[in-house]
Amino acid sequence: MIYLDNNATTAVAPEVYEAMQPYLSKYFGNPSSPHALGRHMKHAVEDARIEVASLIGAADPKEIVFTSCGSESDNWAIRGVLATRPDKKHVVTTLVEHEAVRNVCHQLEKEGYDVTWLGVDGNGELDLEELRNALRADTALVSIMLANNETGVLFPMREIGHIVRERSGAVFHVDGVQAVGKVPIELKSCNVDLFALSGHKLHAPQGVGALYVRSGVELPSFILGGKQEEGRRAGTLAVPNIVGLGAACSLARIDGDHTLIESLRNQLEDGILEGISNAHLNGIADRTKRLPNTSSISFEHVDGQSILAHLDDKGICVSTGSACHSSSHTASPTLKAMNVPYSMAQGSIRFSVGRYNTEEEIETTLDVLPKIISKLVEMSPTAK
Amino acid sequence: MIETLKDHFLNPRNVGEADEPRFTGRAGSFVCGAAARLSVQLDESHNVTEARFKAAGCEVLIASLSILTERVRGKTTTDAALMGQHPETLAVELSVEKDKVHCVQLACDALVAAICEYSDVARNEWIGEEALICTCFFVSEQTIEREIRDKGLTTVSEVTRACNAGGGCGSCQPLIVELLEASWD
Ligand code: FES
Repeated sequence: MIYLDNNATTAVAPEVYEAMQPYLSKYFGNPSSPHALGRHMKHAVEDARIEVASLIGAADPKEIVFTSCGSESDNWAIRGVLATRPDKKHVVTTLVEHEAVRNVCHQLEKEGYDVTWLGVDGNGELDLEELRNALRADTALVSIMLANNETGVLFPMREIGHIVRERSGAVFHVDGVQAVGKVPIELKSCNVDLFALSGHKLHAPQGVGALYVRSGVELPSFILGGKQEEGRRAGTLAVPNIVGLGAACSLARIDGDHTLIESLRNQLEDGILEGISNAHLNGIADRTKRLPNTSSISFEHVDGQSILAHLDDKGICVSTGSACHSSSHTASPTLKAMNVPYSMAQGSIRFSVGRYNTEEEIETTLDVLPKIISKLVEMSPTAK
Repeated sequence: MIETLKDHFLNPRNVGEADEPRFTGRAGSFVCGAAARLSVQLDESHNVTEARFKAAGCEVLIASLSILTERVRGKTTTDAALMGQHPETLAVELSVEKDKVHCVQLACDALVAAICEYSDVARNEWIGEEALICTCFFVSEQTIEREIRDKGLTTVSEVTRACNAGGGCGSCQPLIVELLEASWD
């Protein structure tokens, strides 16, 4: 199998697996217990917290709160901020957010909030002037992702934070799920108040995430119950997963250099764009403005689902549109916002490379893909 | 995915365009953006000698078209139309999931549209004593008018039940509606 769907989820790293194992066997205690076993668990959690904090450049490990996933972190961030500012009814976000933000904002609109949806240009980039103009006295929250899950286009978090701080009293939340472990992040020097991440995107297991809450930002609990996480998030901590997340963050920090992944991605992207005439890149061509591992490519006149199924038959895993939703057929909101013509948006495939891919795998893909595409083009009723 | 479906998707039969003279049907979906085109060639006794398709869509759409183009070969236009009128039968046979039934439907729509194109042409070219309305079941205008009058029919489905007209490709249904409306005057 050739796995080129690392933006959907990643394999648990052997180092992560090894770090977790004792916590799935002999260390089974509850970190809230005061006895030796409980204390051991607590230490393991605190070590993991330090690892997460240092990967994303938090000023203090206390700013990290563990959650069950990225979506929980996003939901909590948005709902929490609004709960503390009942008088402010305006939210700013973008048209290309992940569902975990987009659908919460849609819900907010139904509840009477005024939501400003910032658009993107054909390259998938924001217009910061539009952001400046959107900020108001009653803006409670700005929620903007760091990296787009589909195209990999990076938004200028530092500049956005600066604008938000300068122009408003709004809280700035960043959905960083797709970026963590792929690009350097230093939150302490950015005006970011909240930042969501998810373990399984960086070789930790599924079922663990975190929310960075800048010191001084008030955020009421989303899940009520016990006093875990200093009363900020109730529920017995998922220690094995948290230990896994810590190990994954440490791994990402040590191997912070993504030149190998990037060169594989470039090899793949160049090979496709040069070798297949109806292939078009989605998102800005400048690779410094995209994640090092992602290529979203549209194949004109061809349907993405059938490309995916043919690749699947050859043991190659990719995604079309957004991985979680290849079963809902509507064109991806991200590509729609970028004004990608319908005939192309339908045939979009996301290739996302990871640390375990090899040059041979890319070569195999470059050998198999053109044949599939030409077969499908031949079959297409719209192709000439 | 069941084997038949997978096989027909990976190795689609009858891709392309039927030879001239051919009748072509198109279908498209705004739900999933899929598009299909199916063309048939007929012999003098209205049997399908060749059916081919082109499509951009998912596995289910492509497999359905591949299967349908295989099955309609040798069939009369009426039988081909009836096959296209029952996407649910094919969907069950291929055990496609509920949310993919519309893809089978799309393939069937393209087939029915191709037969409709044929029916429209055949009707216009018909040179009999009585005007031909339903080419699928060879029902004349007079027969339909008589059925409407004698039995007091008021809807297309009643007409179809009485004399089959309209029960094949459906291209004559607007004409049946006109006859129904005329009978009210
Ligand atoms: S012409 Fe086909 S149903 Fe009447």
